[in-house]
Amino acid sequence: MERYWNQEIECMSQEDMKKLQDERLVAQVKHVYDNVKYYRDLMDEKGVKPEDIKGVDDLCKLPFLSKADLREAYPYGLLAKPLDECVRIQSTSGTTGKRVVAFYTQNDVDMWEDCVARAITAAGGTNEDVCQIAYGYGLFTGGAGLHGGSHKVGCLTLPMSSGNTERQITFMQDLGATILCCTPSYAAYIGETLHEMGLTPDDIKLKAGIFGAEPWTEEMRQSIEKSLGLKAYDIYGLTESSGPGVAFECCEQSGMHINEDNFYPEIINPDTGEVLPEGEVGELVFTSLTKEAFPLIRYRTRDLCVLSRKKCSCGRTLIKMAKPMGRSDDMLIIRGVNVFPSQIETVLIEQGYSPNYLIEVDRKNNTDTLDINVEMNPDQFSDKVKDMQEQEKDLAEAMKAMLGINPKVHLVSPKSIARSEGKAVRVIDKRKLIDNPAKK
Amino acid sequence: MSNVKQISVFVDNRPNQAAGAMRVIKESGVNLRALSLADTADFGIIRLIANDTEKAVEALRAASYAVNVTEVCAISIPDAPGQLSRVLDALGADDVNVDYMYSFLGASDRSVSFVIRVDDNSKASETFTKHGVIQLTENDIAEM
Repeated sequence: MERYWNQEIECMSQEDMKKLQDERLVAQVKHVYDNVKYYRDLMDEKGVKPEDIKGVDDLCKLPFLSKADLREAYPYGLLAKPLDECVRIQSTSGTTGKRVVAFYTQNDVDMWEDCVARAITAAGGTNEDVCQIAYGYGLFTGGAGLHGGSHKVGCLTLPMSSGNTERQITFMQDLGATILCCTPSYAAYIGETLHEMGLTPDDIKLKAGIFGAEPWTEEMRQSIEKSLGLKAYDIYGLTESSGPGVAFECCEQSGMHINEDNFYPEIINPDTGEVLPEGEVGELVFTSLTKEAFPLIRYRTRDLCVLSRKKCSCGRTLIKMAKPMGRSDDMLIIRGVNVFPSQIETVLIEQGYSPNYLIEVDRKNNTDTLDINVEMNPDQFSDKVKDMQEQEKDLAEAMKAMLGINPKVHLVSPKSIARSEGKAVRVIDKRKLIDNPAKK
Repeated sequence: MSNVKQISVFVDNRPNQAAGAMRVIKESGVNLRALSLADTADFGIIRLIANDTEKAVEALRAASYAVNVTEVCAISIPDAPGQLSRVLDALGADDVNVDYMYSFLGASDRSVSFVIRVDDNSKASETFTKHGVIQLTENDIAEM
């Protein structure tokens, strides 16, 4: 039988959910207008007052907030509670530029951990599980978020943080971990290391993995599930919004339920800002409904995805978001074509290659070049140069079919591309250095 | 049939890569009888004939190298003009395709040895027998 952490909310009728959202939004908007000058200025500029917002249907009247706003307002400009009421600071990983810091009151931490507890429960976690947290601890929300949620559920929590992979596996074995939480690229690395140590999934007890903080593909899921012998669940979140747990996957593994009692989602056309109907691909925008210290109104995530209210077999009525196709930041425009690293990952796994790869984009003679370094598959190694060059050619053709542009594929030695223990660096875009020397 | 085992090793086409593989062989204490390196822009394939194939393969795999073992023909022919041409003509006449070949020092200074990678080892072996070409065995290699 399906278990829920908060059945009342997770299975609430759409009508009741909307009522709750309306009520909470009105209060949230008033809270930011009264307490945050930055929001007040944005709203005044747009000529909208808190009393114009009577529910989520009025959301479109409010201005958007972007990461640039968060950076401009750094560190205290968006703070909506006095510091003495705040108990925690977390920060973004800074992969796309200057860090952003977020503040939490105790209620904010409780709400966040409650969201994560829903995710762990949906992955089958109970107080009988041993939950190994191999996300980085520290300012990054991955470790803290899953740690808190695991405590809430009552799992025996193993706060490993990331790194020291052989020790991760030894602890996993000795202490019988049943749930693993980390980035998908680290999960893949742990799986690879497990097999290198001469072990198989039968030697460990993992049944579920909760993996997030970076985009990953369905093919990667299957590969991790096989190498670690578990069911892999996606989890979504942003530091700006609290951390992982904004949305989570259930046993159906067909998109993530958004904790919409706390985070109201919209999909917009990234160019015009126009709100798109359910089912259309666009940029995901979140409005926090219950946050105290660091509320977000119409925050543009730059993640491209689709929302769906289709009935879910798990019984939850929370709206679902598809796996983001990629952050619009991750998207590369090469010779005018949009390329997502996740597409490259899909091809690699389909063709039997390791999902460790490195993309190099450059501009030579005014033409973009795309070079993909791929670890050769030792099982397909041939002593004949011709065979190996054919493998490169076949892979380049499969890439071309997926991407629409011709890449250069380079086979490199197995395990020669650096493994990541946190967020993987997959792209080196040398063009940025030329185009935009001032960009930080 | 008297084929010998050849070890192939994948190496990146960057400085110090072939050296890395050779260090592993050195540490394993295995002695090499023959070697050739084929290169492309991205990678190289080192082909080796060793006096202890199993030990060399084990050491290379332990060091994460991609390795494969194939059976190849090894022959010994007199060190005189026209000898190799005679052998290749014979293979050609029997429709055996040669993918690649490389020479190595023979057992005596009046002979020279070759590793020949063909598409059909048994057919090549018949051709060698028919034309009186000396074929080297694993034992011959180990004792060199």
